[in-house]
Amino acid sequence: MPKIKRQTVIAALTFPLFYALSLSSTYAEEYTFDISEIEKKPYHIGGYAELRPVLFGLDRDASLYKLRFYNRDEGATLEEYNAALQLEGSLEKGISRLFVRTNTGYKKSYLGEDQETIVYEGYLSLKPSSSLTIDIGKKTLKWGKGYAWNPAAFVDRPKDPDDPELSLEGFIVASADYIKTFQGPLKTLSFTPVLIPVYEHVNNTFGDVNNLNFAGKLYLLLYDTDIDFIILTGGSKTARYGADFSRNITTNFEIHGEFAVIEDYKKRFIDKSGNISEKEFDAESWLAGIRYLTERETTYILEYYRNGAGFTTDEMRDYFSFINTAYDSYLASGSDALIKKGLNITEGNYGRMNPAREYLYLRISQKEPFDILYFTPSITGLLNIDDKSYSISPEALYTRITNLELRLKATFLAGERLSEYGEKQNDYRIEFRARYYF
Amino acid sequence: MLKIIGFILTLIIAVPVYAMDGTQLLKEVDRNLNPESYESYRKLINIEPDGRKKEFTLFTVKKGVDKVAFLFLAPASEKGRSSLRIGDNMWLYIPNVGKPIRTTSLQSIVGGVFNNADILQLDYAAEYNAEQIEETGGEYLLHLKAKTKTVAYDRVKMWVDRNKKVPTKIECLTEASMLIKTLYFKEIKDLGGGIVRPSVIETDSPLYKGYKSVMILAKIKKREFKDEVFTLTFMPNLESLR
Repeated sequence: MPKIKRQTVIAALTFPLFYALSLSSTYAEEYTFDISEIEKKPYHIGGYAELRPVLFGLDRDASLYKLRFYNRDEGATLEEYNAALQLEGSLEKGISRLFVRTNTGYKKSYLGEDQETIVYEGYLSLKPSSSLTIDIGKKTLKWGKGYAWNPAAFVDRPKDPDDPELSLEGFIVASADYIKTFQGPLKTLSFTPVLIPVYEHVNNTFGDVNNLNFAGKLYLLLYDTDIDFIILTGGSKTARYGADFSRNITTNFEIHGEFAVIEDYKKRFIDKSGNISEKEFDAESWLAGIRYLTERETTYILEYYRNGAGFTTDEMRDYFSFINTAYDSYLASGSDALIKKGLNITEGNYGRMNPAREYLYLRISQKEPFDILYFTPSITGLLNIDDKSYSISPEALYTRITNLELRLKATFLAGERLSEYGEKQNDYRIEFRARYYF
Repeated sequence: MLKIIGFILTLIIAVPVYAMDGTQLLKEVDRNLNPESYESYRKLINIEPDGRKKEFTLFTVKKGVDKVAFLFLAPASEKGRSSLRIGDNMWLYIPNVGKPIRTTSLQSIVGGVFNNADILQLDYAAEYNAEQIEETGGEYLLHLKAKTKTVAYDRVKMWVDRNKKVPTKIECLTEASMLIKTLYFKEIKDLGGGIVRPSVIETDSPLYKGYKSVMILAKIKKREFKDEVFTLTFMPNLESLR
C-alpha cells in the first residue's frame, strides 16, 4: 500500500464522524418519499469510518502479562487508539456483479503506530438464474449457526466471541450456490460447492500449501428447520465434517446447534517443565444454543460450546506454570530463551480465542428500555466451565443519529491463578466506539 | 315452540353467513391492498416525541400467501440488510454477519413502533379468521382472531371503508384484548396497475407513548417471482431483483 501521511488518514477517518454530529440537530419538518431515492444505480460505494479508543487495566501478576511485558514496564494501564475505514463497492452489469470490501486499520499503542489495509472480500459473482450463483474471488462464507462460535465453519477465520458481528477477512475461493424449492415438508434445498486453492501466494494461511481443497454445504429447510451438512477435504487441513440446525420453537424462542469432527487433529501442548508433546486424535466439537425474546423485549442468547480440540484444565495450568517458570528464569538469568519458547507455543495454539474445552456464553440485551428509542444496553458473560474463570462485559449501544452508531463497552476478567481468564494480561478493558456509515 | 325452533335454525344458518361475509370481505381487503405477488418500495419513518425522525427505505417482494422478503436501501448503516419470511419462519441477513439468523415476529429490525410482523405482513386472511362483522356508519368493523398462536397479534379489529373496501384503522390486541398498537390508513392514491389504496400508514402504541411510526408506499407493482427467491441462500442477492 502506498505510504500515506498519518495525519491524512486520521483526518479522513474522523471527518465523517464530525460531519454526522454537526448534522444531528438538523431535521426536515415534513417526510417525503421522492422516487429518485429508490432509483437503482449500476454501482454502489459505501462503508464506515470508526474511532475506537481503548483503556486496558493490566494484571501485572498474570502469566500472559509476564509473557508479553517481561522486558518492559508500561505501568498499571495502557491506552490504545484505533481507527478504521471500511470501504465497499460494487458494480453490476447484466448477470454479473463485482464486489470489493477493504479494511484500513490504524492503531497507536505501546508498541508504536501501525497501519494496514486488507482486502476482506473481492469477488465476481455471476447469476445466470435465480437458482444458480457462481462466485470467484476472495469471500467470507460464514457457515454454521452458532452466535459466539462456529465449530463447523471450516472455511472461515475464527470469529471473536467478544464481538461476533465484526466483519472478517475471507479466502480466495470459487464457489456456487444451487437452490431448488419444493412443496411439502422439504421447502428448500441448496448446495454450495467450494474450491479453495492453497499455494505459496494464495491462501497460504489456510493450511499446507500446494493443495486444491474442496468444501461443500448442503442446506435443507425441512419441517421448518434449517439444516446444514458441511464437509472439507483436500490436504491443506485434515478432513473435517459437520452439521448444524436452527429452528423456531415459538415466535420468540429459537434453538440451534452445531456439530463438527476434525479427523486426525494434532494437538501440541507443553508441560510445566517446557517439554512439548503432540497428540493425534479425532476432535469432536459441538455447540447448543437458544435465542429467547421476552414480552418486555429482552433478548437472551445462551450457548454451550464443547471444544474437542481444546486444552484440558490441567494442560492450561501446565502452560501457565511454564510461562511463570520462564519469567522467573528471565529475571534470574536475563535470558529470554524460555520466554521465546513460550511465545512460540502460544502463537496459533494456546493464544487462539477460547483455547480450552468447555464454555458457556450468555448475552442479555434490552431493546429501548424506559422508552429510550435506539438505545440498547446489554451484558455478555463468557465462562470457562472447567476452571470457573470468566469475563463479563456490560455495554450500551446508541443509534439515534442516522448512520452514527455509538457504543461504550467495558470488560472485566476474573478467575483464580492458572485459570484462563485469571491469567489474561488485563483485569479490565474499557472501550468506546463511534462508527459512522456512509 | 315452532317459532323458537325457527329462531334457533335461523341463528345456526345466520352465523356461518356472517363468518363467510367477514372472510370474503377480508380477502377483498387483502387484494385491494396488494396483489398476491408484487414488488414495492416503502419508506418507514420513526418519529420521536420531540419531532426527531429516522427514516428507512425498503424494497419488498411477496409471493403467494406465505412468502415475503425485503431489502434495506437506506440509510447507509442498514443498506444491504434483508429479511425473509416464509409462513411463521423469519430470518435476518446482515452482510457483516454473513449468515441469515432467525428472528421473531415481535422483534423490530428498525426499532420504533413497527415490528417485524408489521413490515413482513402477509395477507390478513392467511393469518386471521373473521369472527364477527359489524356495520358502523360508512364502515364495516371486522373482528379478527389469529389462526395460530404463532401470529404476532392474537386479536385484530379492522375498520373497513364500505365503498373502497380498504382499511381505515386497525387495532392490534393481545389475547386479553389489551391494545398493543393502532394503525391508521391514510391518503388513498392511485399507485398504478389498478391499485388504489391508502399510501400512508401511521401507527402509535400505548407501549411507546408519544412515539409514532409512519409507513409510506411509493410504488407497488404486480410481479411474479420464482420460489427460489424466497430462500436463505438467495437473501444476499435480493438487490439483483431491482
